[in-house]
Amino acid sequence: MPTPILQVRDLRTQFAADGGVVKAVDGVSFELYPGESLGIVGESGSGKSMTALSILRLVPDPGRIVSGQVLFRDQDLLQLTGEEIREIRGRDIAMIFQDPQSSLNPVLRTGFQVDEAMLAHGRPKRDARSRTLELLKKVRIPAAESRYKDFPHQLSGGMRQRAMIAMGLANAPAILIADEPTTALDVTVQAQILELLGDLNRELGTAIVMITHNMGVVAGLCSRVLVMYAGEIVEQGPVEQIFENPQHPYTWSLLRSIPRVDALRHERLRSIEGIAPDLLQPPSGCRFHPRCPFRIEKCFHDEPRLQDVAMGQQAACWVMMKRAREEMGADKLIDIRPGAASGVHPGEIA
Amino acid sequence: MAATAAAVVVRPVTPVQASLWSDAWRRLRRNRLALAGAIYLAFLIVVALVALVHTPYPMAGVAVATPYSGPSAAHWFGADNLGRDVFSRVMVGAQISLTVGIGTQLIILAVGVPIGLAAGYFKGWFDSIVSFFVNVFYGVPDLLVALLLVVLLGHPGLDKIIIAISVTRWMDMTRLVRGQTLALREREFVEAARASGAKPFKILFGHILPNALGPVIVQATFGVPAAILFEAFLSFLGLGVPAPQPSWGSMAADGLSAIRIAPHMVIAPSIALSLTLMAFNFLGDGLRDALDPRSRR
Repeated sequence: MPTPILQVRDLRTQFAADGGVVKAVDGVSFELYPGESLGIVGESGSGKSMTALSILRLVPDPGRIVSGQVLFRDQDLLQLTGEEIREIRGRDIAMIFQDPQSSLNPVLRTGFQVDEAMLAHGRPKRDARSRTLELLKKVRIPAAESRYKDFPHQLSGGMRQRAMIAMGLANAPAILIADEPTTALDVTVQAQILELLGDLNRELGTAIVMITHNMGVVAGLCSRVLVMYAGEIVEQGPVEQIFENPQHPYTWSLLRSIPRVDALRHERLRSIEGIAPDLLQPPSGCRFHPRCPFRIEKCFHDEPRLQDVAMGQQAACWVMMKRAREEMGADKLIDIRPGAASGVHPGEIA
Repeated sequence: MAATAAAVVVRPVTPVQASLWSDAWRRLRRNRLALAGAIYLAFLIVVALVALVHTPYPMAGVAVATPYSGPSAAHWFGADNLGRDVFSRVMVGAQISLTVGIGTQLIILAVGVPIGLAAGYFKGWFDSIVSFFVNVFYGVPDLLVALLLVVLLGHPGLDKIIIAISVTRWMDMTRLVRGQTLALREREFVEAARASGAKPFKILFGHILPNALGPVIVQATFGVPAAILFEAFLSFLGLGVPAPQPSWGSMAADGLSAIRIAPHMVIAPSIALSLTLMAFNFLGDGLRDALDPRSRR
């Protein structure tokens, strides 16, 4: 096993809100290996973006990282001074954002913004220009010389995201964190951007952390995936394995909710029942229990921990899909309302 | 049907606008009043520059004409109570008005922009202090503060007036920049800049300020006539530039006692003043429309 380039240990990020504390990231631990592409999936509000922002200490007010460690090359990023973390940002760990329209400064020329990413880390001005042109070509922006002088609003959405990626790669970082980089783009452009990220990952050996709510994106790009729910990791493991054999009911539901071309015409699109939990008052026990068809009584009051379920795969569940399949007929399940498969409802417990 | 097909003319595609600024310039040119204001101001600047090296008569030259004599071919705007040429004095007055107007705005920009940026970006105690002082200065009458300062700073002079006006008028710019910064700091491109390791100084002046430049320019353009008017007012009260320096305000004050026999002494500087104020306000309005993306037509 190679040594991880990034180790996140028991990370907790919280927001002070009226009437309590929102635990946006609640005890998240994972490793990232050099050159790997890791997906972090979850719904809106699952804490996946906050996990990414916490790594670079960019959590917006009034958020606070309350505990944990983020070890990058044996250095805890959470202990660095403001000046030291600024040096890391963009040089060793770069980040690209969801909406390329608003992530580029509208009044500055595109090429100049790529230059700046390098100037911020002490590269001389003359080098920056030629390296920018090289980068714009690398991210497959046609006519790079003239695009260099264009303002962001003169570029298409896909082109802008390519420019953002060029900015992210400007200092040849060891890690590129991509926060839903394809969400704001249309589907054909999404595919191109994913292909580009995949190629860059292989060519340059840049480790990619891909944050997305889209399982399809993970399948196309990542080798390993973390599934987050309500601020916690509920399942993690190699992508093929997770797709083949998910063990957490949430992962299972997510995979079932991907629309399929080969589905029968009259078959309903499957969704996950219920809404994401209120993190101000997270559910007791397992946080997924209010929406889980396979819940048992234990799920209401005891919180499950991540445990090994297969080679490199871990899940946090009292039931696990193996048992749900064997004992509750999960594969043939039509009714996926909470407690439907296990027959456990809150009224009966109380 | 064939005829309609033939009638379809391919219109040349208008080229994509190169930038916010060329876009704004195009809109400004279409605004006639703003353009007229700009042309008048360009003319006024030329007059003020010419007055530096040449005036028809020395601006302090006593008895170059008959005192109180009206406009004539030799003295276009007539003569004042000491027989000085009013036209020459209005020319020099333009110099003083523009110096005061632009000078105060430069000071206000130099003070208000960095303070507003820092207050809006860092928030916290610094912002509290800045907001406190802004409110205090809004609370006290600006005339009182300006009068006190002019007296306290000793010998009257152009520099003292510029300082006095700046001290009483810095709040609008500071508050504007602070507000813009508060809004812009939450934008994603600022977060992206921080994620790329940009230093706060770079973020403030390289990313936030360029996006706030439109409103700042408009505010400064409106600030110039306000300062010019304030100077004229101070000079009218006798607290402005020292004699024999001609300010439009002090010239009007000189003429007031003789308004029945020599109205041109009041009218000439007053018209110069009014035109200048109007020109700046028209230009400011035009710039606001041109630079405000929401008013795009």
